[in-house]
Amino acid sequence: MKRRSVVQALVGLGLVLGLPLAAHAQDALERVTSAGVLKVGTETAFAPFDFIDATGEHAGLNVDLFGEIGKEMGVDIAWVELPWDGVLPALEAGQFDMVGGPATITKARAERYRFMPPIAEATVALLKRADDDSIQKPEDIAGKLVGGGKSSAQLAQLKAFGESLPGGVEVREYVGNNEAYADLAAGRIAAVGNSLPNIAYVASQQPDVFAVVQPPFGTKSYFGYIGTKKPEDQKLLDAVDAAILKIKADGRLAELQKKWFGTAFDTPDHVTDPAL
Amino acid sequence: MTPRLFELMLWAAGATVLISAVSILIGLAIGFLVCAARVSRTRWLSTPAAVFVSFFRGVPLLVQLLLIYNLLPGFGLYVPSVVAAIAGLSLCTAAYQAENLRGGFMSVPKGLLEAADMVGLSPWQQMRRIRAPIALRLTLPALINEAILILKASSLISVVGVVELTRMAQNLAASTYRPLLFYSVAGGLYLVINWLVAGGGSLAERMLKKERA
Repeated sequence: MKRRSVVQALVGLGLVLGLPLAAHAQDALERVTSAGVLKVGTETAFAPFDFIDATGEHAGLNVDLFGEIGKEMGVDIAWVELPWDGVLPALEAGQFDMVGGPATITKARAERYRFMPPIAEATVALLKRADDDSIQKPEDIAGKLVGGGKSSAQLAQLKAFGESLPGGVEVREYVGNNEAYADLAAGRIAAVGNSLPNIAYVASQQPDVFAVVQPPFGTKSYFGYIGTKKPEDQKLLDAVDAAILKIKADGRLAELQKKWFGTAFDTPDHVTDPAL
Repeated sequence: MTPRLFELMLWAAGATVLISAVSILIGLAIGFLVCAARVSRTRWLSTPAAVFVSFFRGVPLLVQLLLIYNLLPGFGLYVPSVVAAIAGLSLCTAAYQAENLRGGFMSVPKGLLEAADMVGLSPWQQMRRIRAPIALRLTLPALINEAILILKASSLISVVGVVELTRMAQNLAASTYRPLLFYSVAGGLYLVINWLVAGGGSLAERMLKKERA
């Protein structure tokens, strides 16, 4: 009796879960253009790329640049906001069409995902407290406790850099970069490692609290938007790719970079062989 | 804090209340069904109900939410953010509420039911006039407790892309660099909401008592 009920339950579960598998995967470009909406997953805790500004509005390079991409493709942009560690799993689950993180283009990620053309440089630099004179160059963090965002490429670079220093560094991982900045301001850690555009923005917003430690260190890397390698997504991603290159070629991308980072970056059209 | 930012916090508190309330009600309905199945003498009803309770009570809510949001689409079942949030909260609370209700139903004195049999009340009449009223009265405090727990646990639903009170506080704390202010306001709003829930619960308890007298 008991065994039969277990078998019944399993068969039922199989039917419920298995039936929809037979559904045909629709081409993503057709779906997006017919709905007129491109769904983009992002984390609104990545200033100046993507954040909620002091008036409570969703702002940043992402909002402006995807606005342009939407114009090029004739679609509206719908944002889905998640904590960063949930973004890539939800992309694979098909909860949105692409990711507007952006994310650092790395070998491991490029194997699993398709990257759009780079939109900014992502090389790592350190943020310190403005009144901390003990850190003048990146090497001065030797023996100190520093922080970085969990599962970020910059964290890996920071760790590798720390190992190369005499005495090493202790690295604390944070769920989000903002928590790391808050701990730095509170004096719990000596520095935060993150990409130069991010920390330059943070320091420019709070010059009394934070300062950038020059120069950046580690391998030169770039930020790009992410899509999947699913066959049904490729035509859509080709269209986004083309839109970004057009926006870059006519100078709109450089303008947006100046607006949000204070400087324009010289980025390649595609990163075929990431150094990281 | 500007009025606009406070308005955003209130809006997020509204999202927390709305999603929690819907989940608690759906959870109560599912909980009733699961409880009924669980106390049934038929094995093929009671076994799945027991499995349901042990799964949704045994797996952390955060993991349940991620499974609903990220795993089901793999089987062709597209789950929007709000639906995933409500489904996760409802199923989780249903498991607890089913157990609360079961406790309530088990506490109905056997003698009452025997007496009801004697005077010829049908099982449905016994349920409506004896078992359900007694069980509800006994489980009301536990239900209020559960409602408050779910209101607080709803801070987890940001992982499936729903901006609620805690997430809004995080976002605004990050953009204004004033974490203390926004987390205090969020904490205060949760406290006020839960006071109201607890107050409503006491009121309901008093009314049930009066009705009985």
